[in-house]
Amino acid sequence: MNKKTILLSFPLFSLALTSCGQVINWNEHLDDYVFAMQYHADFNILQLTDIHWNVNSSTTRSKQYLDKVFKEADAHCPGGIDLVELTGDQFMLANTYHVKTFVEYMETKAVEYGFKYAIIWGNHDRHGLYSPNWLANQYRNASHCIYIEPEDNLYGRSNFVINLTPDGTTATTPVWQLFNLDSGASFSESPLAIGRNYDYIRDDQVNWYVAEHSPGVPTIAYYHIPQQDNLVAWNLIHEGGASFKHNFFKLEGFGDADKPEYKSKFIKTAKENGLKGAFMGHAHNVDWTVDYDGVVIGLGVKTGTELYFAHIDPADPKEELQEGLAKVNASLPVGEKIEEKFDLIGASLVTITDPEHFTLEHLYLNEREGANDFVRWVEF
Amino acid sequence: MKRFFAKENFIPSTLDKKQRIQSLVTSLVMIVLFVFSSFTFFNMLYSFADILGSIVSGSPDVAIKDLLRALPLYLSFFMSLWALFLVHAFRKGKDDEYRLKSIFRKGIAVLSISGFNFLYILIMRFVGKYTSLVEGSPSSLYPLDALLYSVLFICIGLCAILYIKRFKEKLPYTVPVRPVACAEKKPVRFFYCFGVSFWTLIALFGLTGAGLTIFVYDFKHEYAFFGIAVIFIYLLSPIMLAFWEFYFNELKEEKKKEFLLPVSIASMVVSAIFITLYFVALKTNMDAPSNAGFGMFPITFTATANYGTLVVVFTPAIVSIVAFIRAIIAKIKEQ
Repeated sequence: MNKKTILLSFPLFSLALTSCGQVINWNEHLDDYVFAMQYHADFNILQLTDIHWNVNSSTTRSKQYLDKVFKEADAHCPGGIDLVELTGDQFMLANTYHVKTFVEYMETKAVEYGFKYAIIWGNHDRHGLYSPNWLANQYRNASHCIYIEPEDNLYGRSNFVINLTPDGTTATTPVWQLFNLDSGASFSESPLAIGRNYDYIRDDQVNWYVAEHSPGVPTIAYYHIPQQDNLVAWNLIHEGGASFKHNFFKLEGFGDADKPEYKSKFIKTAKENGLKGAFMGHAHNVDWTVDYDGVVIGLGVKTGTELYFAHIDPADPKEELQEGLAKVNASLPVGEKIEEKFDLIGASLVTITDPEHFTLEHLYLNEREGANDFVRWVEF
Repeated sequence: MKRFFAKENFIPSTLDKKQRIQSLVTSLVMIVLFVFSSFTFFNMLYSFADILGSIVSGSPDVAIKDLLRALPLYLSFFMSLWALFLVHAFRKGKDDEYRLKSIFRKGIAVLSISGFNFLYILIMRFVGKYTSLVEGSPSSLYPLDALLYSVLFICIGLCAILYIKRFKEKLPYTVPVRPVACAEKKPVRFFYCFGVSFWTLIALFGLTGAGLTIFVYDFKHEYAFFGIAVIFIYLLSPIMLAFWEFYFNELKEEKKKEFLLPVSIASMVVSAIFITLYFVALKTNMDAPSNAGFGMFPITFTATANYGTLVVVFTPAIVSIVAFIRAIIAKIKEQ
């Protein structure tokens, strides 16, 4: 190759690496972000979060655990599971083998239990040996997976809304709306910064929510990274003496974008536009949930034993652990109070009971020797 | 420019045909083993990043469980790396006696690590820690692939030891190349070896990192510039390592002295260009590393650690600066 060829090939190579699709304006294509499912009373949404398959995982063992979660949740819901919300970090440091195995597994379970599953990006789903676009295509091509990612100018890879309508089509007014938002990953404040900030729900995503919202319709939002509102509510209760209803455990920080300039307007704006619940993941040692002035905000229970999770020991005198345990035990019937050690892993279940209300339960499921698995359903 | 690449500057110009072929063959084997080491190192870092994540998040029990399961990944890297050292020992050494000992020691190391890995996988399967020999994750054939990889390196280690036994008096192949470190005193040699080892690790990381970036990075829209800058910055370390190994270290002693200063200046300029390119690209899109190329930064396992990235970016510049300082000191000593 002569010098000229080399010089010419560089920009061509660069161009070849970039995709050249048409970027749409999200506010001109609002219909492109909508998926519809048929509404019925007692619509069950199982939230699995932070599954974290990685190069060290045994997919075989992890699937055995997920099998138990699905079986338990299905038995618990009289009408079965309607929708599974995977609220991010399905993978971290994984490769194409893990992704293919996981999607195949979810498809098998979707057929077995008759549900659809919706995907939300976590910060670590991008953290693997595959292109994020390739991962998106795996979801797009899975027949029971709900995943919408237009090539748009809206922040985040995938933001979409599931309308629960009387006839299961987008043509009718929804009874409930389920918003799925990409709360991003992280960013540097400067090129030489040693630290990185967790991302947050950006203003254009908030505007998109408002534009997609059907007036008067209640909504639930699912995303991965908690916004600063969780901490605000915690502090209002523990320092300000507020009396918001709350339950479950907070055994580490929320892992939010904690600087004031990165406070998202999402919860505040969405609350004025029908938001009744917001559920996320990210911090594995936290499933603390609060009714923050009319919006139930909470982290789901971490699913599975990958990466890290909290070990709850009733004998541990830590104040936050004892507070969580007392709250949980207060929600349990007499014969089911927790007095033994257990791990904070399992799933969360939202049941939309009618056009105005929903209930929330957390499932703690630990595998134990023999047939004696630890199982508790705790109502919020 | 031509004077830097004149044939007579290099040691191979003093060798006979057979020795030149042997030199070429060992160079090629080193390149193959470097690629193997690079790939397994990247795999190991992926596993290590997750284990580190478990430790810093207060779940050491998960870290131990994961480490026990993933140990063959780590050992696969170490056996590849020691095999690379082994072939390097064939190529270079201050004299035959040193090389004989060095080859024997490294052959034993390769044999021991791969033998241990082989037994470890079988034992883990036997006690039920692996549910089958093709349990899956990180590949569909794991741990069988790691077992077969061990067999390959058991053979390499055995061959090296048998070779030494056969030619214990005198190696049939001799290239009078002295690694730079051999000329130095003990404390300098220690720092030199530490520095070169660290640089080698960065180069191993960079090679697979650059290759994977092409497939793993999301090159769409505003992220493209940063992706291209990452490929260049990742390639910088392995290319520079190859340059110093196959160009500079092959020079005759007098040419090394003559060329060190201009080569180190050129190396600094190239490093500065690519580092600048990297930071300009990052400045244009600060979320690109985590949104489009997070997979290329395995150690940046949380959103709050950028250290690994900065080490990779700055290492080529540090290597160039050290070479430059050495050249200046040598010039002062000469005067």
